[in-house]
Amino acid sequence: MIGLAFRLELRRSRIIAVGLALVALVYGGLIAAIYPILLANTAMIEDYMKLFPKEIMAGFGMTGNLAAPGIFFTTYIGSFLWPVVAAIAAIVLATRPSAADADRGWADVVLATPMTRSRHLGAGILGQVVVLAALAFVTVGGVLGVGALVGAGFDAVRFLAAGLVLWLFGCAMAGVASLVAVITLSRGAAAAFTAGLLIAMYLLNIVSQVQPDLAWLGGLSAFRYAGVGALIDRGTVDWVGVGVFGVVAVAGWAASLLLFRRRDLLP
Amino acid sequence: MPEAIELRGLTRWYGKRRGVIDLEADVHEGEVFGFLGPNGAGKTTTIRMLLGLIRSSAGSARILGLDPWAEAAALHRRLAHLGSDPGYLGDMDAASLLDYLGALRGLPKGAWRAVAERLELDPRVPVKKLSRGNRQKVGVVHVFMGREPLLVMDEPSTGLDPLMQREFLALVAEARAEGRTVFLSSHNLPEVERACDRVAIIREGRIVKIATVAALVGDHTRSVNLVLGSPAAEGAFALPGVSVLSSTGQDVHLLVRGDVNALMGRLGELDIRDIAISTPDVEDLFFRYYEGTVAGSEGRDARPGQPESVHGEAPR
Repeated sequence: MIGLAFRLELRRSRIIAVGLALVALVYGGLIAAIYPILLANTAMIEDYMKLFPKEIMAGFGMTGNLAAPGIFFTTYIGSFLWPVVAAIAAIVLATRPSAADADRGWADVVLATPMTRSRHLGAGILGQVVVLAALAFVTVGGVLGVGALVGAGFDAVRFLAAGLVLWLFGCAMAGVASLVAVITLSRGAAAAFTAGLLIAMYLLNIVSQVQPDLAWLGGLSAFRYAGVGALIDRGTVDWVGVGVFGVVAVAGWAASLLLFRRRDLLP
Repeated sequence: MPEAIELRGLTRWYGKRRGVIDLEADVHEGEVFGFLGPNGAGKTTTIRMLLGLIRSSAGSARILGLDPWAEAAALHRRLAHLGSDPGYLGDMDAASLLDYLGALRGLPKGAWRAVAERLELDPRVPVKKLSRGNRQKVGVVHVFMGREPLLVMDEPSTGLDPLMQREFLALVAEARAEGRTVFLSSHNLPEVERACDRVAIIREGRIVKIATVAALVGDHTRSVNLVLGSPAAEGAFALPGVSVLSSTGQDVHLLVRGDVNALMGRLGELDIRDIAISTPDVEDLFFRYYEGTVAGSEGRDARPGQPESVHGEAPR
């Protein structure tokens, strides 16, 4: 039965998944296409970057040479494109099985059949896992594919590993959005909370890097753990970040399942 | 007779707002039970508790012997439900939607075809392009395409045209003939009168009357419509057994129980332009219980929380 619900979940997700995948593919591809230009003009870009305060650049993930693949990817994709794409997907998909379906009455329809609440929400969570994985793969794949065409020389294995970290980041967003949606049964409230939290953490990360005495705040920001520059450039995995994202995602989804079984479903 | 549904003091509050209060009712297996009341009376709240979608604040419900909250999964294998405005997925066509819902209920693909044909539903049209009535047909097909022993429906025939309403009533009659139980919430009074064996009238969250339809429209009750030459004096119909259902000057609608001689005597004193006497329909009785506009010694008001009869006795 969960297989049926999962297939329906994928079917319901296809428009947003395809739309976001196209955005990620086109943007990632275009950015990858200019990488050889950055590479050929490293010295000039370095001089240009020196015009800006180092702390500000660090706040936006530019903590080194933009010609380094890891810094390049983090700057344009990891800290910019992916949080936007993943947040949209996570919020739309994670608020749907509970808040949105309760609001539109679909939850009443399916939950009056032998489909249990856990299976209904579980299918939704599986859908989030799969769609976010596909989006992360397409995002990285677009950069890798166009990079290969223009001779960028990206390390496919390290980029794909970075894709896994991005996927976990998206899953953490989905776990939080799912939990808030189950608690509030309001898609608007869950979306506003998740988006607001992400923006707050983004600002927190910048402040922590601009203001040395507030550096400790950076540990509270998901963006601190989403940087994949070291992974791509040096092969160093930030296991703390991986763990934080994994724990937040699993805890959010598990708590959603638990609460969804016990709460009143009011339209 | 075993009970398909047992409500014992079932109560639901939404914070300080009233949902339903102290509902007491038994629905027998194999009967068609109407749940009658206007919008906001508590019909949908009751059904949501019967389905285990919300919990009760107090009291209990047993559906087919099961607790609808704690044993929802087991219960849902034995019932089919149609909501008042089902939120079907608009992008799916009716066939895909019904196949999906059928699969969740363990039905083979295409199990909906026979009922869909009876209701003249085009299964290829996306649900979002269907009219209100055709969307409702999807719901009716959904309920009747299986063999569950209990059917729970909330305003099932809303939007159906008269022909389809007749087909719907035929489906209900067939379900009853097969021994299935039907719980039907409605404010469509003629539908309830035609479909149901017994009716509960819910008013402001409380059941104020449960009786058989036959008892409600009992042999000794008559509906009297008068057109007077001039408005009657106040209290002109304050007679034993006479209830004034409505009075707008020269048009008077009365309900008379038992001996009609007192009324006939009074009518002889009035300037009557026209008179029609008939057996009252459920609508008359519903308004009587809902408005509480009963005059006379036999026509006592049904007070909230005090059902006149709860197990199908005829009103006395």
